[in-house]
Amino acid sequence: MTDLTCKLLIIGAGPGGYVCAIRAGQLGIDTIVVDAGKPGGTCLNVGCIPSKAMIHAADEFHKIAHVNDGPLGISANAPSIDLAQTVAWKDGIVKRLNSGVAALMKKAKARIVTGQARFLDGKTVEVTNGDEVQQIRAEHVVIATGSAPVELPFLPFGGPILSSTEALDLTEVPETLAVVGGGYIGLELGTVFAKLGSKVTVVEAEDRILSLYDKALTKPVAKRLEDLGVTMMTGTKAQGYSDGALQTDQGDVVAEKVLVTVGRRPRTAGIGIEELALTQDGPFVKIDSFCQTSMRGIYAIGDVTGEPMLAHRAMAQGEMVAEHIAGHAVEWDKRAIPAVCFTDPEIVTCGALPGEIEGTKSSEFPFMANGRAMTTERDDGFVRVVYREEDHAVVGLQAVGAGISELSAAFSLAIEMGACLEDIAATIHAHPTQSEGLQEACLKALGQALHI
Amino acid sequence: MAQYDVIIIGAGPGGYVSAIRCAQLGLKTAIVEGRETLGGTCLNVGCIPSKALLHATHMLHEAEHNFADMGLKGKSPSVDWTQMKAYKADVVGQNTGGIEFLMKKNKIDWLKGWASIPAAGQVKVGDDVHEAKNIVIASGSVPSSLPGVEVDNDKGIVVDSTGALDLPKVPKKMTVIGAGVIGLELGSVYARLGSEVTVVEYMDAVCPGMDADVQRTFKRILEKQGLKFIMGAAVQGVDATKTKAKVRYLPKKGGDEEVVDADVVLVATGRKPFAEGLGLDALGVKMTERGQIAVDGKWATNVPGIYAIGDVIEGPMLAHKAEDEGMAVADVLAGNHGHVNYGVIPGVVYTTPEVATVGATEAALKAEGRKLKIGKFMFMGNARAKAVHQGEGFVKIIVDKETDRVLGAAIIGPAAGDMIHELCVAMEFGASAQDIALTCHAHPTYSEAVREAALACGDGAIHS
Repeated sequence: MTDLTCKLLIIGAGPGGYVCAIRAGQLGIDTIVVDAGKPGGTCLNVGCIPSKAMIHAADEFHKIAHVNDGPLGISANAPSIDLAQTVAWKDGIVKRLNSGVAALMKKAKARIVTGQARFLDGKTVEVTNGDEVQQIRAEHVVIATGSAPVELPFLPFGGPILSSTEALDLTEVPETLAVVGGGYIGLELGTVFAKLGSKVTVVEAEDRILSLYDKALTKPVAKRLEDLGVTMMTGTKAQGYSDGALQTDQGDVVAEKVLVTVGRRPRTAGIGIEELALTQDGPFVKIDSFCQTSMRGIYAIGDVTGEPMLAHRAMAQGEMVAEHIAGHAVEWDKRAIPAVCFTDPEIVTCGALPGEIEGTKSSEFPFMANGRAMTTERDDGFVRVVYREEDHAVVGLQAVGAGISELSAAFSLAIEMGACLEDIAATIHAHPTQSEGLQEACLKALGQALHI
Repeated sequence: MAQYDVIIIGAGPGGYVSAIRCAQLGLKTAIVEGRETLGGTCLNVGCIPSKALLHATHMLHEAEHNFADMGLKGKSPSVDWTQMKAYKADVVGQNTGGIEFLMKKNKIDWLKGWASIPAAGQVKVGDDVHEAKNIVIASGSVPSSLPGVEVDNDKGIVVDSTGALDLPKVPKKMTVIGAGVIGLELGSVYARLGSEVTVVEYMDAVCPGMDADVQRTFKRILEKQGLKFIMGAAVQGVDATKTKAKVRYLPKKGGDEEVVDADVVLVATGRKPFAEGLGLDALGVKMTERGQIAVDGKWATNVPGIYAIGDVIEGPMLAHKAEDEGMAVADVLAGNHGHVNYGVIPGVVYTTPEVATVGATEAALKAEGRKLKIGKFMFMGNARAKAVHQGEGFVKIIVDKETDRVLGAAIIGPAAGDMIHELCVAMEFGASAQDIALTCHAHPTYSEAVREAALACGDGAIHS
């Protein structure tokens, strides 16, 4: 029996799902969103947002704790942190955002159904919430089930073995912490605890951290981690945990807690995707440029569709799918999806890295020569432009530096609008800002650098 | 005596950037500067030292307003003001030293001393007269004075921005005359350091000329941080003793003269072009009614071979405007086509939150009779801002109703000074709000609010 019907059913209320629902609602599409948890998904509940709150708190604590050693002339008497209070503050933010997202969906007239969804067929989904079971029939279904942390068989989550979710909820700063996996999640959280006073060891199987980025971009981060007292064990394989120590092929690492951040896997199990026999792309659901799966009427967006697993990619897909269903002429044609790594310093990448495209060159401008960076005690890092030699088209922009995450928007807009070096070089950038580094990198590529 | 292709008078951002570009273009270049260090007002007593103090005191702001929330405990931090000033001086030293290095690297001669122009083609520095095919005047600006108010930076009671960057001690009470960018930035610094700050402003809104929505929000936020405002007040005079001062003002709405007491009075009523001692009168260089050097579209004065850029000519007194003019005039002198897009010059205020604007204001466009659409998005709806105690403020984008083209934007919120550049690039490209809305913005960043404001110009924002 069918209990509910709608035009659009979205499975998952993470950034992809809820944005799709809001956009659909704005377009007058009768929409239902199903999620077993609180609205906002991984990102809002146990991902991007709470981690940024904890990063902020740890930054502030670290700054004040070391202010006596610094040049500012400020002194502070043995500050301390009540991590339980920090976590409560973070939870408060998450809670406000949960209700904010729910309110936005309601405002858009999307209905929210709580429970675990499972496909019965391509148009019908069964939702279970405790003993309650209901069926929803929809014209279009969007799979936005996201991803989950990958678990290592020899380090199963539980007790001292944490995923990112539990790490965000620790109410005491562990004396020692081993981070298995030197990707951005592990390093963001590893940095948090290092700044809060933990002795942190990062165990990474590859021969360097953040192996998706090139060495020049990751070097300032590695340097800062070293300054923060983080021990790096690269080329090291974790093997198990016992007696308060992480075992690795390079010896034991004393660790009160172990944070395992070795990546995320698409969440496809348990919702009946197998029975629908959707075409897969490796572990992911295969989609076309409209986010349509191999079955008519079923779309998929976000982490479940593959890399890059980024909230803003999912959101953009969600919006587009809602517009596609509304009959708008839309297609996925993004030239650039920016990615931000909120380590210290931060890394932003957008478009091609050096060497990725033939016939390109790159130019870097160091923050050492940037007035604004000097005024903030942080002049490490640089801005880099990757451009086609032939016509100076900007095909990639990257930066590493303290607080440079907001440069990402200008990066993606420049690439989306097909800027060439001269366009950015001729745009007046405010003084003194870190953004001047973008203009200078382009000027330098043209042989006209001013401040270097 | 030496011969040059170009002599530039003044080594501020306009002058030194122009010199570098001239040298890059193969012109034999010299720069004249009488100050002990290069970099002009901006590096020595302007943008850079004020940003250093804003950075240094930011932690005090965080400690006072946000630490308890986050579970950070401990006594309030204390300040060694002498040490903080030494930090500022060190930052300035690094910056000015850097400019000196750049001059050497680009083989630009620094003619030390104050310049005068005895005749077109000649620049006199000290007793030496140097010859130049072309002269670029980049002599900048100085704080403007106020009738009835005598500034004396050495005594440290009634000071201008230069004096305020170097006060002997943190005053208990500070009165700032003028609610412009400089007054509010330095007022914020001292408020964070514990001074009781009162801002007296002649107009009815802070930052005259800025977007009215921003003015209201900005004032409200600063008031929450403890700054007091007396608006619509015409300052009649300042009576200073050795240790104190009284600011007398008449309320514009009528009534008797009133008085504000202060230990230090900061006069921040704007800046005026500075061209004294150059001998422009004798040369017959034409000036504007407001005392600026009059130039044409190629920055040429009415005297052949003499050019002028930066604060000393018309336009916003901003370092980056001067820099751009410096590059453009170098191109002109090298026989190329120099260009400055005056419609797209960002302006930034480095308070907490930051304020940044670019392009036209809503009021100015409405006065022109333009049909507009306005997209506004509050940082309250931005997840990153909320996660770091920065949920106040908004992004406002103003577009043409017919074409959706972005005509102006204003941001009050975290990192506004960096975020504004997306809108600068957009405006340089003649982008529509839809172009911004269709660009993927990283999550979680404050910049998502820019995209949301762009969406709000169309079918509607997502998170509001």
